[in-house]
Amino acid sequence: MTIDFAALTQLQPLFKLLSSGAHLNRLKDTELWVELENHQNHYEALFAALGFVLIVDGRGFAYFKTELASTYTGKLTRRLALLLMLLFEYQADQGLHLFQFQQWRLDTPLLGKLWQQYYALFEAEEINSPKTLKEILDSASRVGFLVFEDEVYRLLPAVHRYLDLFEELAQAERPDHDHIKDEAKEDIL
Amino acid sequence: MSLAQYGFQKLVLLNSAGYSRAELPLDDSVSIIAPNNTGKTSLINALQFLLILDKRHMDFGAHSVENSRRFYFPDNSAYILLEVLLPSGMAVIGCVGKGLSHDYEYFAYQGSLDLDDYRLDDGKLVAQPKLIGRLFERGKPAKIYPQADLRALLYGNRQKQRSDDPDLTIFPLEFTSQAATYQRILTRTLRLDRLDSREVKNYLLEIFKNDLQDRSVDFKSEWDKSFADVNYDKSQYDTVFRNKALIAAMEDSQQTRLALRGKIILWRPLIEKGLNDWEDYNNSASEQLRQRLRALDEEAEALENRQKTIYKDQAKVETALKDQKKIELRYQELNIQFQFVSDLAQLQTQRQVLQEQRDELVRSIGNAEQQQSPEAIKRNIAKISKEQTDLHRQLASLNNNLYLQLQKLLPTDSFDLLTRLLAKSVLSLPVAQGNAVELNDQTTFRSFAEKLEERLSANRLELPGLLLDLSALEPNLTIKTAQELEAEINDCEHQLTESNNLLKTVETLTQQKQRQQEMERRITELERDVKNYEELLSLQAGASERLQAIEDLEQKLKALEREESVLGEQKKTIVQTQEIHKADQKELQSQHQRINYARHQRIDQLPPFNFLDQLPNLPCMAAAELAMPSLADCIESYNRDCQKLKQIDDQLNQHLGELHRDGVSKFQAQDSAEQELNSLFNYTAQLSQEQEAIERKARSAVVQVAAILRDLRDSLETFKRRMREFNNKINRRQLSDLKVFKIEPREEEALVKAIQTLISTSEQVESGNSFDLFDHNAVLDDKDLNKAKDTLIAEGEARGGLRVEHLFRLVFIIAKENQTPAEFEDIDSAASNGTVLMAKLITGLAMLNQMQDPRKAIKTACYLDEAASLDQRNQRNLIEIAEEFGFTLIFASPEPQITARYCVPIGTTKGKNHISRLNWQILETISDVGNQP
Repeated sequence: MTIDFAALTQLQPLFKLLSSGAHLNRLKDTELWVELENHQNHYEALFAALGFVLIVDGRGFAYFKTELASTYTGKLTRRLALLLMLLFEYQADQGLHLFQFQQWRLDTPLLGKLWQQYYALFEAEEINSPKTLKEILDSASRVGFLVFEDEVYRLLPAVHRYLDLFEELAQAERPDHDHIKDEAKEDIL
Repeated sequence: MSLAQYGFQKLVLLNSAGYSRAELPLDDSVSIIAPNNTGKTSLINALQFLLILDKRHMDFGAHSVENSRRFYFPDNSAYILLEVLLPSGMAVIGCVGKGLSHDYEYFAYQGSLDLDDYRLDDGKLVAQPKLIGRLFERGKPAKIYPQADLRALLYGNRQKQRSDDPDLTIFPLEFTSQAATYQRILTRTLRLDRLDSREVKNYLLEIFKNDLQDRSVDFKSEWDKSFADVNYDKSQYDTVFRNKALIAAMEDSQQTRLALRGKIILWRPLIEKGLNDWEDYNNSASEQLRQRLRALDEEAEALENRQKTIYKDQAKVETALKDQKKIELRYQELNIQFQFVSDLAQLQTQRQVLQEQRDELVRSIGNAEQQQSPEAIKRNIAKISKEQTDLHRQLASLNNNLYLQLQKLLPTDSFDLLTRLLAKSVLSLPVAQGNAVELNDQTTFRSFAEKLEERLSANRLELPGLLLDLSALEPNLTIKTAQELEAEINDCEHQLTESNNLLKTVETLTQQKQRQQEMERRITELERDVKNYEELLSLQAGASERLQAIEDLEQKLKALEREESVLGEQKKTIVQTQEIHKADQKELQSQHQRINYARHQRIDQLPPFNFLDQLPNLPCMAAAELAMPSLADCIESYNRDCQKLKQIDDQLNQHLGELHRDGVSKFQAQDSAEQELNSLFNYTAQLSQEQEAIERKARSAVVQVAAILRDLRDSLETFKRRMREFNNKINRRQLSDLKVFKIEPREEEALVKAIQTLISTSEQVESGNSFDLFDHNAVLDDKDLNKAKDTLIAEGEARGGLRVEHLFRLVFIIAKENQTPAEFEDIDSAASNGTVLMAKLITGLAMLNQMQDPRKAIKTACYLDEAASLDQRNQRNLIEIAEEFGFTLIFASPEPQITARYCVPIGTTKGKNHISRLNWQILETISDVGNQP
């Protein structure tokens, strides 16, 4: 396949974003997303040639699949996985539909309730305060899982990666939390 | 095969695509049998020239259209021919190469395809230039068609056909506009292995295009369009609100301006007239003043003269008065002087007396001047007086004088001697106590007389150291009698009186002379007095007249003084009047200067003053009268008004400019700045109504935008419905072992939700009449609404317009037996090769079928490579499904597929492929064979 670089107008920002390990979300980075959508084959081929596996999920996110994980991202992934899983569990308990997670508003009261309900688990992961929860969410925002606007966090489509995984796990026998985290870590990074 | 089955009959390639000749039946399913890379695909692709026609839509896989042209049309006797049975009868559509250029042209005719028509008797193929003639010879009047015309024919676009053209519609589309889509899908259908989900989505969208409304929404522009007014109005409102104070001030200025204009309009003609009249007025007024001043000067001069006269008169009168008074004073003096004089005679008498006395005196003086000297007389008097005194003493001491005493006490001799010695006066001295001679002790004195007797001898007196002869001496005293004495005394006395008078006369001679002089003087005096008295008399006579004269003079003087003072007053008045007139003159001059200056200062000849009456103004109701003396003030005030008006003009323009710069542009469309201002003031006055209006507009804008979005959402719903129908269509038969095969749209949640937010807001707005519920802020500042808007704008901008396809993605839902359905975005990854192939084929065929006019089914062909990957059951299934969709299926595989009706092997001779109908193997079911007659 011949790749017309001139046509790939957003190559630089796209690569910059994706190679940083962040997720491209159609809602947040509409322009990049549309570009990616329009030239998906070319981008896939180009990135593949560079050694990156570009995954474009029709649900509205894209990322580079990588087997490598730094300590930092590993830790973040693990913590975020825990946080999201507990969030999903909590929200499911509230009767909310998980697939509508993009409409959830993660505000301080909600995080407070989460903390209240699961502080034992959080503390096991050295998450010692609701403030740390926020730090996790902030970090996750930087890699495109969430967006912080109007004083609340919102989950972005990329969270589907976690949700898929949780669903998968839910289908299987109910494992313990550590297992989830490991799985999550391996799969996502 | 049923004859009633319209559709492709066969495809023939002559000298094309490496085939010397190829005849392929297309009236039923075919299995082309050939090893790989022997031209199976080329055979099928040849159909593109006939069916796709448009080079842009052709797809020869790895080969370019250019190369393919060369491949298919090596010379001018290369043919691709398709026989098709149409409702109008059998027809042939052909494509013939034109030679070295590898170009080609189309032709068509009605009738069946007979290969002999294209072969000359010598076995060679008919060359393109001779083709039409050849066909005509063979009784087939063919016609050359330009590509576009043929395309119109094939796709039933009647509009583009000529009436004499035969009906060659192979693809009776429901909407001829879909021809391009149809061709694209058809291209894919010929090579279905390339069909991917993205294409499926695009094709489906095109297929359902006619069901979907307004396909591209430029949301941003729609929003901007709808809200342009609102935002504009809002910005205007905000700016005006912000500048309320300034605008209020401007309104005041405008009022002032209108009033000023009215005033200027009123005054202008007056000023004009005033200026015209001014010269005359000025001249006459100044002349008048000059005259008056001259008259005053004359008057003043007359007064001056008169005054001088008065002064002279005064001097004269005063002199006269002084004279009179002097005379009067003299009179008074004389009067006093002669107070005791009764008449003139008295004085004359006195003078007479005096003159006589003087004459007497003059005589006595003459006597006296002949007498002795007074000293001799005095000595004589003294001698006589002494004699008299002695006599008196002798008389007095006749009884007791010293002589007698001595005579008694002393001897006669001594006595005699002593009487000689002693002076008579001493001897005559009385002796008595306290007198000059005292005889205290007679005894003692006797003793002494004894001693003295001793010293006296013979007429001599001897005193120690002194001898005095007494003989010479006479006795001094002879005692006379008292008569003698008294006669002697009288005689002495008479002598004394005579001597005294004489002496007196002698002695008083100077005195008398003085006295004479005095008398002379007095006489003169008296004479003068007489004269004076005479004068007095005369004065006395004129006294009353004189007094009268004095009084007259005094009155005259007073009258003069009065007149003088009156004259002073008059003079003062004249000076004052002069001063007033001069001031008037000065004032007139200054007015003239001011007017001249002001006349040059006038700006009312320039715009806007020369068309001021055409500008809006407040008619001035004040009574305007121009008095010439006040012209200067008026014109100056007029000029000031003009200046002020100009200032206000400038100021208002400047403020308006400021407002423009600040963004107030709503009223700029007005014809004039004035109208703009009025509109602005009206607007400002109704700011709260404007706010409501903006609010209403905002709400209707939301409604408007929502209407467009509603179309989009409705389209999405329609599409979803269509997709359900489409799924029904492709699920009529079960594919392979797929329990579920569906293509479903998945909404792009965020976008759909955003649209929904806007729509529901609009519904609320439409239903809610209360401002409380949806006030201006609620619509313009609604967070969710704005977020939704931003989402849609971002999406629309990134994609160059919002289309219904952006609201969903397609997923393939596939489930085999005993599996829960799974969603796949890419159909290729969904299942095994064969299954995917089938799925794609069915999807493609269903799509084509969807586009065809169901009333006019004309069977066409589709191609399935690698048919061997499907088992027979599935092959049959496919054939049936294709049949249902109006397609005959062409399998291609190295092995014959017995599910097809025809098995057509590709042969090779001399390096060229060929397919002869003689090689066709027709497979028929036994029952079919049995049924055949």
